[in-house]
Parts: sequence; C-alpha cells; structure tokens
Amino acid sequence: MTIKKGILTSLCITALIVFAGYTGIVFAHGQPHSAQDLKLFEMAYQKAVDQGYKIFHDAKLGTTGQSCDMCHPDAANTHPETYPKYQTQIKKVIGLRDMINWCILNPLKGKELAPDSEEMIALEAYITNQRKGTPLAPGKH
Amino acid sequence: MLALKIVFSILFLLVSSNLSAYCEPYKLAIPLGLTEPAIPENNPMTVEKIALGKKLYFDKRLSADDTVACSNCHDPKLGFADALPTSAGIRGQFGPRNAPTVLNSAFYDLQFWDGRVPSLEDQAKGPIINPVEMGMASHDDLVKKLKGIPEYVKDFQAVFGAEITIDRIVQAIAAFERTLISGNSPFDRFFYNSESDAISEPAKKGLLVFRGKGRCLNCHDFNPIYALFTDNKFHNIGVGMDKAEPDPGRFKVTGNSADQGAFKTSTLRNIALTAPYMHDGSQKTLEEVVEFYNQGGHKNPYLDGGIVPLNLTDQEKKDLVEFLKSLTGELPKL
Amino acid sequence: MDSNKKNGMTRRELLRTGTGAAAVTLLAGISPFGLVRAAFGEEKAEPFTFAYLSDAHLYVKNINQKFVDALVKGVQNVNDMNPAPDFVFFGGDLAQLGHPDELKLGKEILSDLKPKLHIMVGEHDWYRDMGETWKTLFGPDRYSFDHKGIHFVVLNSVIVKDYWTPNKMTPEQRMLAMAQLDNPKGEAFTVGEEQRDWLQTDLKKVKSETPVVVFSHSPLYKLYRPWNFWTDDAEEVRKLLSRFKTVTVFHGHTHQVLTNRIGNITFHGFLSTSWPWPYAPKGTPELTLQMDRPDPFFSTDGCGWGIIDMLGSGQADKTYEPWNRSPMKVTYEEIASGKWPPAYPQGSSGPSY
Repeated sequence: MTIKKGILTSLCITALIVFAGYTGIVFAHGQPHSAQDLKLFEMAYQKAVDQGYKIFHDAKLGTTGQSCDMCHPDAANTHPETYPKYQTQIKKVIGLRDMINWCILNPLKGKELAPDSEEMIALEAYITNQRKGTPLAPGKH
Repeated sequence: MLALKIVFSILFLLVSSNLSAYCEPYKLAIPLGLTEPAIPENNPMTVEKIALGKKLYFDKRLSADDTVACSNCHDPKLGFADALPTSAGIRGQFGPRNAPTVLNSAFYDLQFWDGRVPSLEDQAKGPIINPVEMGMASHDDLVKKLKGIPEYVKDFQAVFGAEITIDRIVQAIAAFERTLISGNSPFDRFFYNSESDAISEPAKKGLLVFRGKGRCLNCHDFNPIYALFTDNKFHNIGVGMDKAEPDPGRFKVTGNSADQGAFKTSTLRNIALTAPYMHDGSQKTLEEVVEFYNQGGHKNPYLDGGIVPLNLTDQEKKDLVEFLKSLTGELPKL
Repeated sequence: MDSNKKNGMTRRELLRTGTGAAAVTLLAGISPFGLVRAAFGEEKAEPFTFAYLSDAHLYVKNINQKFVDALVKGVQNVNDMNPAPDFVFFGGDLAQLGHPDELKLGKEILSDLKPKLHIMVGEHDWYRDMGETWKTLFGPDRYSFDHKGIHFVVLNSVIVKDYWTPNKMTPEQRMLAMAQLDNPKGEAFTVGEEQRDWLQTDLKKVKSETPVVVFSHSPLYKLYRPWNFWTDDAEEVRKLLSRFKTVTVFHGHTHQVLTNRIGNITFHGFLSTSWPWPYAPKGTPELTLQMDRPDPFFSTDGCGWGIIDMLGSGQADKTYEPWNRSPMKVTYEEIASGKWPPAYPQGSSGPSY
C-alpha cells in the first residue's frame, strides 16, 4: 500500500468513527440527555406528583370520609426522608409505602394499595416532592 | 488454750451459720424468648430464701381461718391462676377481679390489674389483709402468728439472720415468684430460634393477623429480642363498662379521667391455660376474646383510641386463636 | 349594677371617705358574691370554670362513626365534671361539610350537655349555605354576654373574600374548597369591616378594667397563611381590644395546643375532638409548649377537649384534656413569668413534626 492510500484509509476510518460517535451509533451510552428527553422526564414525573396530590386529597381513598391531608396538610409530618425506619405502629423496619398502606388500612379504613401500583408510586412522588431538599435521615425518629 | 479454742469454735460456728444464709445465690435461668426480670437490690435471690418463699406460698396459715394460701388462687395446676371468673377468699367470699397468673408476673412494671403497687413484694402484702381474700386483721397479726410457729422462726433466722417481719415475709414470697418464669414456647422456638415447624401453618397465619389486621401487637408487645406480650400500660377496652357501677380500674390510682375503666395489658404467655379472661373473668374462651376485639371492644366514653372494629374473617379469627395457643411455654418445675 | 350600692352608699361615695376605704377593704374580705372591690378600687371578677369542646367535624353517621363517637365522648366527659362547669363553649366546625344533616346531628349530640351551651361558627359550618342552616339552628353568628364580671364576645372570624361567584362555583364546590386546609387558592380568614364595627359598638359599653374574653374560630393573629392559621385583619381587631386591661382569646381551628401573647392579649388554641393538625413549618408562637406527635394507632390520640379556669383577675388558666394522654395544665402565672415554656428534656429539641 502506498503512503497516500494509507493516509486516505486512516482519514476515512476516523471520519467514520466521528460520524458514528456523532449519531450515537457507537458511543450512545456516554451521551448527555437531550433537552427533549429531559422535558419528557420532568413531565412524566410531574404527572405522577399531580396524581399523588389528587389521591392524597381524595376522601374516597378510605371509607371514613377522611383524606391524608386532614392529618398531613401539604404532606406535613410524613417525614419521607426518614425511611426505612423502625415504625412503632408496625414494630419493625419498613419503607414509606408500607406506612402509607398502614394509614390507608387503619385510620382511613380503606383497601391497601399494591406496593408497585401507579397510585402508590404517585403518592410517594407527591409526598417526597413536598420534602425536596431535606437531607436523607433514614432511621430517624 | 482449750478455752480459747472453744471460744473460737463457737464464734466460727456462729459466723458461718449466719454467712451460710447469704451463701447460695440463685442463678435464674432465662428461657428462650424472655429476658432478665428486674430484681430489687435489697432482695437478692438465694436458694434458701426461695425455699422459704415457696413454703409460705403454699401455706394456708397465712389466712385468718387457715383455709386460703396464695396457691388457692394462683394454683400451679391451673396455670398459676384459678380457672374462676373472680377468686374465692376466706369464708367463700368472692372478690371483684380475676386472679392473674403468677407466671411471668416478674416482668410487669406494676402489679395488680390497676398497677397500684410497683413490686411483687408490695403485691404480696395486699391479699394477706384483704377481708375477702386471706382476711388477716393486720400485717402485725400475721407476723405474730408466724412467730408462734417455731419452724418459721428458724427459717427466717437462717435466711435473713433476723426476726420475722412482714417485709421479710413478702420478700421471700417474691423471691419464689421470680423463679416462676415460663418461656421456650412453640412460638419462641419459631420466632427466636427459626424453627420453621415449631408452630402450625394456621398459627403462622395467626401471627400475621396478630401483627397486622388484628392490631394486637401494639399493646401485647414483643420485639426481635424478647417477648413479654405486654406494653405495661393501661387501656380501657370496654370490659365491664356496661355495668351500673363499672370497676374504675386505673382511675382509682391516678385520678386521671382518661384512666376510667382502664386495666393493665396482660401478658399473653400461657394464655391458653388461664381462662376465663379479662379483669372480671367475664370472657370464658379465647374465641370469645377474639370476637370481643373484633367488634371493637365495648363502646364507652373512655374507650382507648386503639380499640376499633377489626373486620376479621372467620378464618383469621381461628388462625389467631391457634397462634395464641402456641404461646404456652415450659412450666417451672416445683 | 345593684352591688354598687353597698350599705346604702355608692362605690364612689364609699371610697371618698377614709373610713370608706377601710370599709371597702373589710367588705372585700367578707363579701363572697358579685363584684368585689379591693382597697384600691380594682374591679375583680368572680373565679369560675367552663369547658371547651371544639372542631367536631361531623359527617353523617353512616360515613364516619368515629367523629360522632368522639363528640359523644366529649359531651360525656364534660357532663362528668365535678363540680359542674358554669357553661360549655363549642369552638366551631361542628359539621364537616356544612350539611344540614351534619349540623342537626351535632345539635342533637350537644343537647345532651347538662351545663348551658354557648356556640360559635367555623368555616366548615358556614360555607355550604353561607350560614343559613347555622343561624336557624343556633342563632346569630356574633353576639356577646356577661358572666360573673367578665364580658364575653363571640365572633364569626372566618369571613373570606367571595371567590366563588366569579368562578361560578356550586355551594358544594365552595364548601369543599373551604374544607381543604392546604388549599393553595384559599382566601385568608377575616373578621371583616362590618363585624369590626359591630364589635366596636358592643365594646363601647364595657369599662377598660372589665376583663374581656373573645371567642374566635380563627386565631386573631397571623400564624401560618398557607393553612389559614391566620386572621388577616387581626391587627385592626386587636386595636379595638387594646384599651382593655385583660383580654383573652380562645380559638379553635388549629386542632392543637397553642399559647401566645401579643400586648395585652393572651391567646389559647384548643384541641379538636376529631383529629389533630401538625404544627406549622413556621409561625408557631414561642410561648407554646408543643404537644408530642400523635400516634395514629390510637384513633383519639392528639384529640380531646379543655377546661378553662377564669381567675379573679380575669386572666385564665387552662387544662388540656387529651384523650389517651395525661391532662396538661398551663396557668396564666406560668405564661406571664417570662420563663415559659420550660426547656425540653436534655438532648431533646422538642417534638419534631
């Protein structure tokens, strides 16, 4: 192979690599999220938070006419940043959604939500969103 | 020289005979599922003291007419209770409350259904002078009576190195009662020793009800280390509140209106052995007890906020009873 | 008042003479009834006790039995008081959604009270039909009365700006909006100009030395706006009360233990029979000895009622009677001592909400 051909080949390969990288074919993992993606993530998250807000304020979550906001206005006194922790009402270490279900079952006398249900995730999204910025303090009482 | 030897020997005998009174400390064996009970510093456990306490516990002469001993109402053959709704004292008189089991009573912070005294020693003083129980006119009367029994004079001298007083009488009884602890039940083996076949499948389901829908665990408390099945608190669950003059319970001790009709949370250990249940013995079976809680107790103005209707299914109720039966532990050998 | 004429002389005539002053002192010592004048002409009221029940938030029975049971329990607790209180005051929010059935149920339960009942309106009672049912069942929403030397005023302090008409809301929608404590679009409670004028007129006939007690559903100060723990025209209302020597405000709405002092006025918040509110993220007055966080396992924890001891000075001691907990007494002397509230136990910074 002549030198000229060699240089040309190298240039072509480099161009191919750069092109592949640019379009994400080879280096897809290392790319930052596009502005459009970020907007989608934010909208989907906000949708869950809004759904959580609605359920949190819905007296039909239980059967006694009570809704979560009656004891927890603006999700006050829920302390999501302290989970998992030993929960005195349940007498073992649990996560936030277990306590949500306990509250639905006991004061609200409703039916427990499946832990992975959309409603449960929405409630967790709203509750934790209200405490955004609070440092994590798992186990704290 | 001989005189000196005699004097020394006599001194030695005197000292050693007194020393031997304090010489055999009793090491309490803690069964699986339990922890150390509180033992007052001024009443250490010794073998001799426990033997004396046991003698007193079974001695009918502690009552005014020599018919009632502690063991009448706290009978080892009946789970250290007496299988009656309320207990019979001297001359066939009945009191207002059910005799609690002595088993594991060492773990209560306060004694009696209304928690009016803090220790087993103080508890033992009560029935002795209660006119419907053992009916002695006074503690002094009992002391005088026992001082007239040479065997007891000797025993007290041996154990305490001193004369009979009411405090020493109850200290001996309390020391004996502290040996009446019972654990290592099928539940203990299942929960604390991971023996997965120690309790039946229905009992396992009953344990889940106990911790969850049944809401039992919050007052009949146990934890990952040991199980007393009592929170040592007082709750009004509505028992007896439908009477014209309900038993005031803890209210008589504290004067807090919130304590009206509130009674101490009983341990559930050996509960299958100690029917009938509640402070007035009004519930005869475990099924009746479970149904009572299922209904939300008996509504009254002082009902504890933790008592609510449970909506248990029939199967859940049965499973819960099976679980309660698994709390029967190994009984102490007398 | 007839007691002005003791021994055939009016109070002023008595005091003018030197022996009169001595006679007054003597009279002050031996006269047990009515107004007692001490040597320096200070008016003193007669001490007495009344009970405070509040915030029952009743639904009709087949929706929520617990709130009904709680109010019944409160009524029974009050009836069990020995000696009986002079009267019982209900602090507002008898109903939850202002429905006539809820209000009638509340009236029925409260009718079992043995002592006399004075009652006040809350926003949950008012906003379904703008107080129509309330006024039919309980009378005017603002009034005053005198008792044992104290002037009592009852206000409707939950007046808000009309936002339902421009938004074409139905009565039920308006009620639901008012019922949500953390409503981000909520309008602030006020006493309002018309009612402040009524208050001014009412107070005209009251001497400055006479102790005054104001019952108000909202706190008559500004604690936390997002939850309407707030009275927007509080300063104006307090100005009307500023000339009085002793003023105490008793309020509901906040469902928690609260104590505050602004100028000459002491403020006391009371427990609800139905459910507890947490303390607000900010604005809780420093004089408040906060109650510990309720345990939701106990359906009545954090709830209860209260007892108020009106002292001869016209100030008040209060005792909270929380269900599931020990009673908590706070005296006026403690509040005014400058050493209130007491420090929390070592290592603790108080209950955390």
